[in-house]
Amino acid sequence: MGPVIVRRLLVSMPALIGVLFLCFCLLQVVPSDPARIIAGPDAKAEEVAAVRAELGLDRPVLTQFADYIGRVARGDLGRSIISNKPVSEELTETIVPTVELMLGAMLIAVPIGLLLGTLAAVRRGTAVDRIIMAISVAGVSMPVFFIGLLLIQYVGFKWDMLPFTGRTGPVWDGGLPSLILPALTLGSVLIGPIARITRTAVLEVLGADFVRTARAKGLRESVVIVHHALRNALIPVVTLIGLQAAFLLGGAVVTETMFSWPGVGRLAVGAIISSDFPTAQGAIMILAVAFLAINLLVDVLYVYLDPRVQRA
Amino acid sequence: MSAPSAGLSAQNAPAAIPDSEAGLLRRDGVLLRLANDKLALVAAILLALIALAALFAPWIAPFDPYFTDLSKSMAPPDAVNWFGTDNTGRDIFSRVLFGARNTLMMGLAGVLIGGLLGGTLGILAAFYRKIDPWIMRLVDIMLAFPAILIGLAVAAIVGPGMESVIIALVVSTVPDVARVARGSAIGVMGQEFMEAGRAVGVSNRALIWRYLTLNCISTISVFLTLRFGQVILVGSALGFLGMGAQPPEAELGMMAAQGRDFLFIAPHIATMPSLAILLIVLAANLLGDAVRDVLDPRLQQ
Repeated sequence: MGPVIVRRLLVSMPALIGVLFLCFCLLQVVPSDPARIIAGPDAKAEEVAAVRAELGLDRPVLTQFADYIGRVARGDLGRSIISNKPVSEELTETIVPTVELMLGAMLIAVPIGLLLGTLAAVRRGTAVDRIIMAISVAGVSMPVFFIGLLLIQYVGFKWDMLPFTGRTGPVWDGGLPSLILPALTLGSVLIGPIARITRTAVLEVLGADFVRTARAKGLRESVVIVHHALRNALIPVVTLIGLQAAFLLGGAVVTETMFSWPGVGRLAVGAIISSDFPTAQGAIMILAVAFLAINLLVDVLYVYLDPRVQRA
Repeated sequence: MSAPSAGLSAQNAPAAIPDSEAGLLRRDGVLLRLANDKLALVAAILLALIALAALFAPWIAPFDPYFTDLSKSMAPPDAVNWFGTDNTGRDIFSRVLFGARNTLMMGLAGVLIGGLLGGTLGILAAFYRKIDPWIMRLVDIMLAFPAILIGLAVAAIVGPGMESVIIALVVSTVPDVARVARGSAIGVMGQEFMEAGRAVGVSNRALIWRYLTLNCISTISVFLTLRFGQVILVGSALGFLGMGAQPPEAELGMMAAQGRDFLFIAPHIATMPSLAILLIVLAANLLGDAVRDVLDPRLQQ
């Protein structure tokens, strides 16, 4: 397994550098001059030039990029123009809520998706199958914010069952109720695709010889399905979850904004709207790096689930 | 176009007809077979109606989408204002029509421009194997950015607006299309007629256009059809985040975001545009699935 991980890490290096370069460019091409913003609107030309020299903005772009990578490696992402706090500090504060939200969404979506998909496959061609597939198509077509709006309006406001703004604390410290609605919103995006791919994968596996053998041995149907079919069907499901990481991240940005969830996505959106470029750049970078990391993790998990991949 | 006999003959005697020709004949029956799929038919009609309504919005809309009338602010749906009015008393039905126009335009631009660029990259990568690794590396880097993030980054650079969203949608469509186009083109490159064309001295330009591109185009367009719904979802989500169309312009995602502030007093302000998006994407997805099943029967189960 070791070599696979090393190779996979090497392959993601160009992408990582690309991500860093784009984030770096983000600071370069912004229409407003960062030196002028920091110096203030009334600053004289010399003052702006001084700030520019201080920030190193007058040197060649590649030198600046090398500098930038060095600074990122040291965790120095500059200061927020709005709050004047170090961006790295803002990021560490917001990362935990975002991870919490994404894990919560997965914890809701994966079991439900697996259950619905397996059920549809086992009851193939019946009304159950058709209803589950209809739900999953509708789920795939639903804007995340629409689900969020409905949950806020009914569960949060009308029925007054769960909180729907902000985060009351870490999930291990009384924050669970405030996590439920955002996690449900984000998770609902994943249920449809997971159910769909599970159904296909289980159907494929159910036709395989080893399943017939298991049945011929006289194993109970539930054992055949859970231990033989579902376990082997997990491989495409894991791949899918990796592919869906993009949607999960994108959905997290929308969900956080809707529920005022203090995560990285909301930080990024707020920073862009208020032209806080250092913060925006840092937040976008963290999200992109997280996306690379998720894909890496999925590939490793894939090798674990299907040792044949290693030899390929 | 939809001669039933052609479709039937292709099904009855597939072995007697060479591959590419069978493909052409099969395509003849596409519309007919799509029409037989009731769900796909409903989806196609729905999508066509929405597209027409959006296209002719200036003539269909019962009210001026920008005309504010505070005396009937936040009126619920009734016989006059079918979808009700928003917080400034603008007619939501008219705004949904104009909003759908922008939303669909964004999605189409994203899919078409992205398809064009991605298709070109993929086909060139398959044809000129020397540049292939470079193109695919570029594609891998582009894939490292999820669509919403690209949207945020573009909006951070050029400022929020419809153009930013379109750029983001194009950039996020390109790598996936490039991969699909490359895969399909590599398959075509292995066909004998490519070698034959080269042997009789057909120019590279003609090989790429007439031999390669024409044979990849159906795969690419199926993929783009399947992709359209997703692109609309991402575009409207960016609109919802405030990265897209700016007020007073109407765009469905942005309208949903505006309605969010009045969710508890007048839920219809947010619900109507959201429902419109759901309907568009649902119809596009159903149609995309049906088109794929018809054009690529191997995927049928």
